[in-house]
Amino acid sequence: MSFGALHVLGGLAGGLLVGFLAAGLDRILTARLQSRIGPPLLQPVYDVVKLLGKEALIVNAWQAFCACTTLLTAALAWLLFVLQSDLLLVFFVQAVGAVFLVVGALASGSPYSHIGAHRELLQMLSYEPLLILVFIGMYLETGSFRLEVLFAWPRPLLWRMPFLFLVLAFALGIKMRKSPFDLSACHHAHQELVRGVLTDYSGPLLALTEIAHVFEVALMLGLFTLFWPGGGVGRFLLPVAVWALVIGVDNATSRSNWRWMLGTAWGLGLGLAIVNLVWIGQG
Amino acid sequence: MRALRRFIDRMRAKSPWLLHFDCGSCNGCDIEILACLTPIYDVERFGIVHLGNPLHADLLLTSGTVNPRNRKVLANLYAQMPAPKAVVAVGACGLSGGVFRDAYNVVGGIDRVIPVDVYVPGCPPRPEAIIDGVVLGLQKLAGGGRGGR
Amino acid sequence: MDPRVLWTVVLMLAPFAGAASCVFLGRSPSARRAVVLATGALLIAAALALLGEAPFRLEIHPGLRAPLGITLMAADAALLAAFLYYGAKYRHAGILLLTLLQAAGLAVFKGVLTHSAAAPGGIVVDGLACLMVLVVSIVGALICFQALPYMDNHERHYGVSPSRQPRFFGVMLLFLGAMNGFVLFHDLSFLYVFFELTTLCSFLLIGHDRTHLAVRNALRALWMNSLGGVAFVLGMIEAFRSSGTLDLAGALAAPRLEGDATYFVALALLGIACLVKSAQFPFQGWLLGAMVAPTPVSALLHSSTMVKIGVYFLLRLAPGFPGSFLGQALALAGSFGFLAAAGLAVGQSNGKKVLAYSTISNLGLMFACIGVNTGSALLAATLLLAFHAVLKAMLFLSVGAIEQHIESRDIEDMRGLYTTMPLTALITLAGVVMMILPPFGVLLGKWMAIEAVARHLPAVVMIALGSALTVLYWARWAGTLLSDPLGGRFHAERQPALTWIALGSLGLGAAALSVAAPWIVERGLAPIWHPAYGTAYAVVAGGLESATGAFAVLPLSLAAACGLALSAFALHRAFGARRVPPYLSGLQTGEGASFRGPLQQAVRVAARNYYLDRLFGEDRLNPWVNLGGAILLTLILGGVL
Repeated sequence: MSFGALHVLGGLAGGLLVGFLAAGLDRILTARLQSRIGPPLLQPVYDVVKLLGKEALIVNAWQAFCACTTLLTAALAWLLFVLQSDLLLVFFVQAVGAVFLVVGALASGSPYSHIGAHRELLQMLSYEPLLILVFIGMYLETGSFRLEVLFAWPRPLLWRMPFLFLVLAFALGIKMRKSPFDLSACHHAHQELVRGVLTDYSGPLLALTEIAHVFEVALMLGLFTLFWPGGGVGRFLLPVAVWALVIGVDNATSRSNWRWMLGTAWGLGLGLAIVNLVWIGQG
Repeated sequence: MRALRRFIDRMRAKSPWLLHFDCGSCNGCDIEILACLTPIYDVERFGIVHLGNPLHADLLLTSGTVNPRNRKVLANLYAQMPAPKAVVAVGACGLSGGVFRDAYNVVGGIDRVIPVDVYVPGCPPRPEAIIDGVVLGLQKLAGGGRGGR
Repeated sequence: MDPRVLWTVVLMLAPFAGAASCVFLGRSPSARRAVVLATGALLIAAALALLGEAPFRLEIHPGLRAPLGITLMAADAALLAAFLYYGAKYRHAGILLLTLLQAAGLAVFKGVLTHSAAAPGGIVVDGLACLMVLVVSIVGALICFQALPYMDNHERHYGVSPSRQPRFFGVMLLFLGAMNGFVLFHDLSFLYVFFELTTLCSFLLIGHDRTHLAVRNALRALWMNSLGGVAFVLGMIEAFRSSGTLDLAGALAAPRLEGDATYFVALALLGIACLVKSAQFPFQGWLLGAMVAPTPVSALLHSSTMVKIGVYFLLRLAPGFPGSFLGQALALAGSFGFLAAAGLAVGQSNGKKVLAYSTISNLGLMFACIGVNTGSALLAATLLLAFHAVLKAMLFLSVGAIEQHIESRDIEDMRGLYTTMPLTALITLAGVVMMILPPFGVLLGKWMAIEAVARHLPAVVMIALGSALTVLYWARWAGTLLSDPLGGRFHAERQPALTWIALGSLGLGAAALSVAAPWIVERGLAPIWHPAYGTAYAVVAGGLESATGAFAVLPLSLAAACGLALSAFALHRAFGARRVPPYLSGLQTGEGASFRGPLQQAVRVAARNYYLDRLFGEDRLNPWVNLGGAILLTLILGGVL
């Protein structure tokens, strides 16, 4: 894993590009599915710049610390992915951001943030085992956790790991906070507990968490490219297809409760993952 | 520096986040406001997002007269909005108390409690008028908005 | 005098001397303080000096064998007599029965032993022994230092007079000596004495407060650990029958005199003794009950040292059972322990019990790694052992300081602790962060563990689930500490100097060791396992790399340091920003987190964490986890019979 400053900047720029593009297209696609026109493509960028220019209102000063840490670790996790580090390490680094988001939300005294923070913890509880098992599956198939090996793998992993692919899509839905998993904080037009875990972040701090979310989504979409490493257009079709599926499901379903989410993740998700892992482990 | 500030001001106009607070209206104005979100009027085209949280909002859209019970709430919500912000008072009740002006529990207009930037008359005003009012409010925001506490 | 002998003798005798001084001369607080500080300092110096001399082997001088043998028998007798005394005093049939079983076993054993001339094993100081000595001496000394002001406060609070501190510190120092003895000697009969001595110390310390609850929990700890003692004696007998020697390395390497069965039965029995000592399921009850003891006891015995004996001993035995069914069963039992304890911790609101379950959970992870028994897995277990000991001690000490201040152990009562005890709250927060997040040592160990266990499907699934649960209960606690609507500026509270010294050293030490982890692994830990398992990891560009994975410790630490600086700057700016109350639907009143409720009364916002009792509560899970533990235990034993 050798890199220079140019690689780092390029990686960060790439992450922002992918993430903001996904966010913008998300809103347009959602609007079209609802027979509306929707905002311009660059709307998320406008939102973030506007937020950065607002007055900083603080409920608890520690939220500034936590928002900053969330952004830095989300960017770092994306960077580690792009610079081809170790998959498990990427997972643990992105967990830091998620933890600090929750800690920052718990630091304010509002019941909305508080419940939102606990729901966010339950969301993390739901998707983290699934992510680890998907990575274990990739290791069992290719013999390595290192991204340089995974990116260069000659055969598409999709055929050997279809259930793990579905499980990762499930985790993507939770991570992107799309229905039926938009329990802790719902995006924009929808509200849940006012703004759930993000309620007491405002102005520049909210901008930091938005940019962190952009990196997180970019990372999750990037993971799908590992299922078709053999180069070519297939590699980028997969994340687009899954992303579109998640948005479609978002518009077709309503919000679930945490019991259903946890039960489905640990029941169905785990079951599918184990079946696939056994299958790979055998062959 | 000034170019940056102008850039950010332009972005403010492109991304107005709205907080809608009903100060005791008959809900006529509220229905018209919510109609703006529907596919027919689709205010999300302008980047407008309808929020429930003053900490995230740029524009405060109020309907209804203010009564002694919720004047403190209105003031609290306004104070909790980060600068720059603008207030759009929708409907005749918000302007001056409307037909309820002389009632015992009516304070009589939003501007008795917080400073208002745009008045949208009507009972209720049509969604087009409300959108016009919001766009006027945006121009105020883009011009630097109100930084007051 | 040979410095190696000198330091080894100091490590073992200084604590005993210190203990005796405490008991007989410790009436006056200043004398006691001086003894504890001096013994601690001596232990730290000896441990560091030993590090410089390692590795080496010391054989017991032939002339000393007979006297040592007699001392050993006397010690055995004294210990068993003490257990019988307490069993009789409290009329506990279980303790009496188990002690008599141990006595019978020993009698049979000595009868066999006296008929053959087996040379006792000597003292072996290799990387693993050095590591344990460092952990015991340094962490143990720091805990004893912090215990000085803690116990003063404790006794003042409970109105204990005359002071029982001489006895307390005597037993604490005695325990340190027993631990050092256990990790330095390589002879099973010596190990047994120290094993039982730690049981006795644990019993005495848990029951220190002499309340009804304390005595009851101490008795429970005693009978459960006696079960471990019985297993140890039986394992010792089988090991001798299998290999004809009591020397540990010899027992593993010798040709098996009676075939594989006896050998594996010995290993399984010794393994069960370890599982009992480390409070794995279904023996977790004694550790949970031990939390009623004063917090330095919990920090020393029940998180950093005594419960690590099981892990240390199985690490020693690990080269004896690679690729066996015993290893498979152990991996399952360990990962089950990791998952079940993490689940139980989610349902707990008592801070010390959360720490106890977290300890059991991490120990389970270490056992899972030992079960998998490859080079990288054992390396992961060793790394986890070291870092977990330091961090858990620090967390227990800070919870101890907190509990004395707020007079409660409940996490709900620690809500907004940042307002009243900012520095302690921050130190606890730092401890939690170092426990679960990269680039710190515990996470490095967990990463290594997952990569090592990845091929063992049931174990890795349980570890994945447990890992997610772990993040939940720690993040919840961390957020609760900061949960303060007024989030004010920082005014460090007053605590005794020794408390700051202990907490500071442990925290800074953990951070420094985490950054230095790749070199510690390369120079200190990997050589332990290299002869039998080869080397899996290499230090490349400040990080650890293997054929399957890479963890860039130094670059990540630098990034973390920069991130910390940036975030601290953001925090500093935020202190000057405009403060608003949290969002309460516009109904907030002027002060604090309260809102105007019905009849215009101010209502305080009350919050409580999710403990998910109906899913993860102790009452709900205990029957299942005990059943699971019992099944896995049967698997371990039954698999070898």
